[in-house]
Amino acid sequence: MRALEQASAPPRPRLLEATPLAALAALAAAWGLAALILPSPAARGIGLAAAHGGLLGTALAWTAADGARERWAPLQAALVLGAATLLAHLVPGGVVAYLAVPAWVVWRRVEWRRDGAEHARAVLAGALFGLLLGLHLLVNASLTLGFHVRPGRPADLLAWFAYDLGANVLTAEAFFRAGLFARAHRRWPFAVAAALSTAASVTRYLVDPLLLHTPEILAGATFYLALLGVGNCWLLACHGSLAGPIAAGLLFFAAYRLLAR
Amino acid sequence: MAVAIALALAGITALIAVSDAGVGSLWRHAYHVPVVVAALRWGGGGVLAALAAMLLYTPFVLPALERAGPSSSVLEALLTLGLLLGVGVSSGALVAGFRRQRARYEALVAIQRAVDGDAPLDIALVRLRACLEGRLGGLVGLAVRDGERVALAGAAVLVPGSPVARVLGSGAPLYVPDLGGGGGGSRPRRCFVAPLVGRGGITGALALERRGDIGAEERRALLALATHVGLALENARLAARQRRFAEELAEKVTAATRHVVEMDRMKSDFVAIASHELRTPLTALQGFSELLATRRFAPADLARVGAIMNAETERLGRIVADFLDLARLERGLAPPLRRTRVDAGAVVSDAVEVLRRARTTHALEVFCDSPLPPLDADPDALDRVVKNLVGNALKYSPAGSRVRVAARPHAAPLAVEITVEDEGPGIAEADLARVFEPYYRTPGGARVAAGAGLGLAVVKSLVDAHGGTIRAENVAPHGTRMTLILPALP
Repeated sequence: MRALEQASAPPRPRLLEATPLAALAALAAAWGLAALILPSPAARGIGLAAAHGGLLGTALAWTAADGARERWAPLQAALVLGAATLLAHLVPGGVVAYLAVPAWVVWRRVEWRRDGAEHARAVLAGALFGLLLGLHLLVNASLTLGFHVRPGRPADLLAWFAYDLGANVLTAEAFFRAGLFARAHRRWPFAVAAALSTAASVTRYLVDPLLLHTPEILAGATFYLALLGVGNCWLLACHGSLAGPIAAGLLFFAAYRLLAR
Repeated sequence: MAVAIALALAGITALIAVSDAGVGSLWRHAYHVPVVVAALRWGGGGVLAALAAMLLYTPFVLPALERAGPSSSVLEALLTLGLLLGVGVSSGALVAGFRRQRARYEALVAIQRAVDGDAPLDIALVRLRACLEGRLGGLVGLAVRDGERVALAGAAVLVPGSPVARVLGSGAPLYVPDLGGGGGGSRPRRCFVAPLVGRGGITGALALERRGDIGAEERRALLALATHVGLALENARLAARQRRFAEELAEKVTAATRHVVEMDRMKSDFVAIASHELRTPLTALQGFSELLATRRFAPADLARVGAIMNAETERLGRIVADFLDLARLERGLAPPLRRTRVDAGAVVSDAVEVLRRARTTHALEVFCDSPLPPLDADPDALDRVVKNLVGNALKYSPAGSRVRVAARPHAAPLAVEITVEDEGPGIAEADLARVFEPYYRTPGGARVAAGAGLGLAVVKSLVDAHGGTIRAENVAPHGTRMTLILPALP
């Protein structure tokens, strides 16, 4: 028992310790430069890779045993995401290249998942939670605001799934749950850590230029993303695996993609 | 149960959906049933059930709000949402609070049971730990001061600098939000250590360690629990000490009673023996005095009778002197001594010579080293001691055997050692330590010769009064050796 047998607790990292500032600054500079000199679609692509790469790389640096060794992880992640984005725009069906991002993360042997039954339970619980939240979103949005459910083509669904898995959901859950929530939870109670993580993740989606910025959409997004954030924090705290939150996010965003005006 | 509640919520939602009244359907009130059931079953689960009910009912409320604005039915629906949340939160909190109280009382009873009985502290701590771990939902460790050591439950050693060691040192509760090793940090291992307070201050520490939150309220409850644990352990320790004290007292009373009975028996024996011892010379004196009164004796016979009467009178005097010495001994007083510079060799030789003339049945040998350091002693007392020891050796060894008396110097500390060794049957090992007790007579000795059991007691008191020591031991192949050591003058 550590309370009796451990001379002192290992040093606890500060909330923003081991943040790869140089790499993030480089990404921000690249994004700004691209916005100035490149046409809009190319600049958007670079911005997407830089933003998601920054989140994913920072999460990798924060959760690594030696954060200093991962100080260039944001640049690496941005490169992988940039290549996937380029392929998605240039090659038909190239959007599946986003699946290279989770493969790259797995290849790096990141400890964001559990093994065996605990992993299966985490995925099941996350899938159930995401499914219920997604269904609720579908019902609520189709009854109000003039949205309706749009049956998508399999190719489109696969494309959205690949994008969500490789960029949207993976990077958000890695940074806001495995990174920020886990660090906050090491020093504060669950409620405080979940509130911080959820507030940050909701803010990330609210400033996303892809989201429609109408009051009812913003209100709905805040409501559902807050629920998703708190639920995913709970899943991570219960199961210790990021697989649950990723499964929940994927199913929720899959439902979201089915909505159309 | 969870599935039943989920099905109930879904069923109520379906009933509202098929109802013509829509958002105003009275079925909406039925949501309270699964919410209350969930609260009764899981406490905080009532909040989750209320949130689920609200989520299920929201798709009816929002379109109505969009269509008709804040109409009365919509306001009622919003009120229903608020009520659901209120009922879920309040009933959940009530049930959780009730369960906490019940758990607290059950824990107190369990603590008392765990530390009750005659079990040693380590066993009691193991029981206590098992009982608390089942109730606190985490690893429990206990450290309790027990004299110089610290008794532990939950670990083999207490590492200096660990949270428990720090609390034992400071006496202040300690909360460590992250002990490390949390599996990537997503589930930090937290611990809270509360001091155990007894009547004399900090007596130990109670540690709870778990992956998950230990909230402020739980920490307060743990502090209260630690107080109870500390007092329970203190009471158990006092009860055990009282039991031990009572047992020791009973043993002492039994031993004292046995001793008193033994003393009483020995005194009875002594009275009988003393009467006999006194009667013998008195009878002789009485008989000879009657003869002197009634008959006329020739001068030679008169001298012989006078010598006999004188010897018997001396014998009577020695017995009375022994009684007086014993009386002083029993009052804790040392016998009176007239100390002077004494040549131990001369005293030993003279005493042995007197006895050699009186008892010709044994071969008496004397070995005195020369020179012997002088003693600061009472010569009469020393004479009594030597005669008593040699007299005993003659009395309890068979006729014709040898009795050796020796005196030799001791270098450090400067002393004279006098030994009297016979070839008698020896003394049983169990009796060796008791032969110097007043009235005590070995079973074998009582059969061989008469006596009051006072001689060796008086000898010991005289030796003690001189600051010396005396011991009895058996020698091979058979025989007894009495060794007395008397401090000498430099």
